[in-house]
This record gives sequence, C-alpha cells and structure tokens, in this order.
Amino acid sequence: MATAGRPREANVGAARQDVANGAALASFLGAGIGAFAMGFFASINEAGIFVAPTLYGPAGGVSGRTTFAIAAWLMAWGLLHNRWKHRQIASGPVSAITLTLIGLGILGTFPPVWRLF
Amino acid sequence: MLFTDRSLWTMIHGIVLGGIALMALFAALVSMSTVRTAEGPYGATEGQSRSVARLTVLIALVLWLGVLVGTYVIFPPYRATPPEGGTDLSQYPRSLLLASPDTAWLHAFAMESKEHMPWIAVMLATAVAFVGVRYRSTLLMNAQLRNMAMTLLAICFALVSFVALMGVFVNKVAPLQ
Repeated sequence: MATAGRPREANVGAARQDVANGAALASFLGAGIGAFAMGFFASINEAGIFVAPTLYGPAGGVSGRTTFAIAAWLMAWGLLHNRWKHRQIASGPVSAITLTLIGLGILGTFPPVWRLF
Repeated sequence: MLFTDRSLWTMIHGIVLGGIALMALFAALVSMSTVRTAEGPYGATEGQSRSVARLTVLIALVLWLGVLVGTYVIFPPYRATPPEGGTDLSQYPRSLLLASPDTAWLHAFAMESKEHMPWIAVMLATAVAFVGVRYRSTLLMNAQLRNMAMTLLAICFALVSFVALMGVFVNKVAPLQ
C-alpha cells in the first residue's frame, strides 16, 4: 500500500548528490566579483579616480560603469567556470568570500559611502 | 491622452517588472525553504525542482528587463537637461528634484542608489538561475548549495525592495509624464 500523501514522482535528490559543485560555486563567486566590480566602478567614479566612458549618451556615465561591471562579472565567471566545472570545491570559504564581495559591492553603490571620499 | 509613453514605461518598469520580480523572489524563497524543511524521504521531486528552476529563470529574466528598461528607456528622460532659461521643470525630473533642498535627496540618494544597485541584483539572480537550471534537484537537496542560493535570493529581494521603494518616492514627487 502506498504511503499516504507521498508524491507520485520519485525523490531524485539523492541520486544527484554527488554532482560536482564547482560550476555552482563558480557562478556564485562570479556574481560576488561582479557585485564588487559594480561598487568599485561606482566608487572610483565618484572619487574622480576613473570615469568609465559613456557608452550611450542619453543614459550618461551609468551606461559605461554598468557595462564594465557586467564585463568583469562575465569574465570572472567564465574563468572560474572553466577551472572549477568538474571539481568538488569546499563551499565554506567560497561562500564567505562571495558574501563579503557582495557586501562590499553594495556598500560601494550606496551614495552615503561616496560622501566619505 | 491619459498616459504618455514615458509614464507607461515607468509603470511597466516599476509595477509590472518590479512587481513580478518581488513576487517571484518571494515564491522562490518560500519554495526552497519548504523543501529544506521536508528533507529525507519526502525531499524534492523532479517536478518541484523544475518549478524552482523555472522560477529562478523568470526572476533573472524579469530583473534583466527591469534594469535594461530602467537604464536605457526611463533614465535618459529623467536626467534630460532643461532648456536654458526654462522655468517649467515638470518634464525634467532630475532638475525638478535638485531645484529644492527638500527634494534634492531624492536624486542624490534615492535615484543614485537606483542607478547601480539593481545591477547587483541581476548578477545574483542570474547566478542562482544558472545553478537552478544546471543542477535541478541537486540545488534543493544539497544543503550548502541551497542555503547559498537562498541567501543570494534574499539579498536580491532586499535590494529590489529597497530600489522599488526609492522609485516610488521619486515618482511621487517628480513623475515622468
């Protein structure tokens, strides 16, 4: 007799538990690097250190800053993916670095932080 | 005409895309959290995994559309410079906000936050969508991957909520008309 309330579909989680986590962690860390790049380009623009070129005139400098950050994200993700996609990586340190980069990136896009420069 | 093209785009950006993104983010977080509490023999099925993967892809797509429309369709008329000597600033939201010390913060803080932060949300959502599609049930059954994905989606939710609120403030005082 079937167990009451049991979904008809099979639980497939256990079968895929051994899939290498490298591609996932590369994706997460790549996003962290992209987030940091966004904050970095916004901050150095406000500090007058580096002004990304305007790529679409009507939108102004934000078009260059965001495109640069997206390019940094995609390059970092691509490189990490190629290196890690078949590997099992310790997720603790990668997660910690990812969250730190995201935190710094968000701070870098927060206007009150720019006033400190 | 009841609504101009500019105000329609603003509604598509904020209410349609922003609203869908927030609802989908909440749904994804609840779905993943539900699976987390149902581990063991009652863990994720292929159907549940597929649904969560689709939800994460929807979030990423909607956020991409939102930032592209925001940056390249709505922001240009927002930041347009009024003609020299012009006194009616109603068609120039940035200049209208900066004209008064009481509203200048809506540009200096609210809109300048909106210029960059949503792009971070897009990157995080895309990363989670990639993992959702590539790993399917493993994303839900592997506690470390699932917790990290949920953390990124929670950050996404916070960022999108914040910029949406800032957008409401800006649009209330200086709407694109």
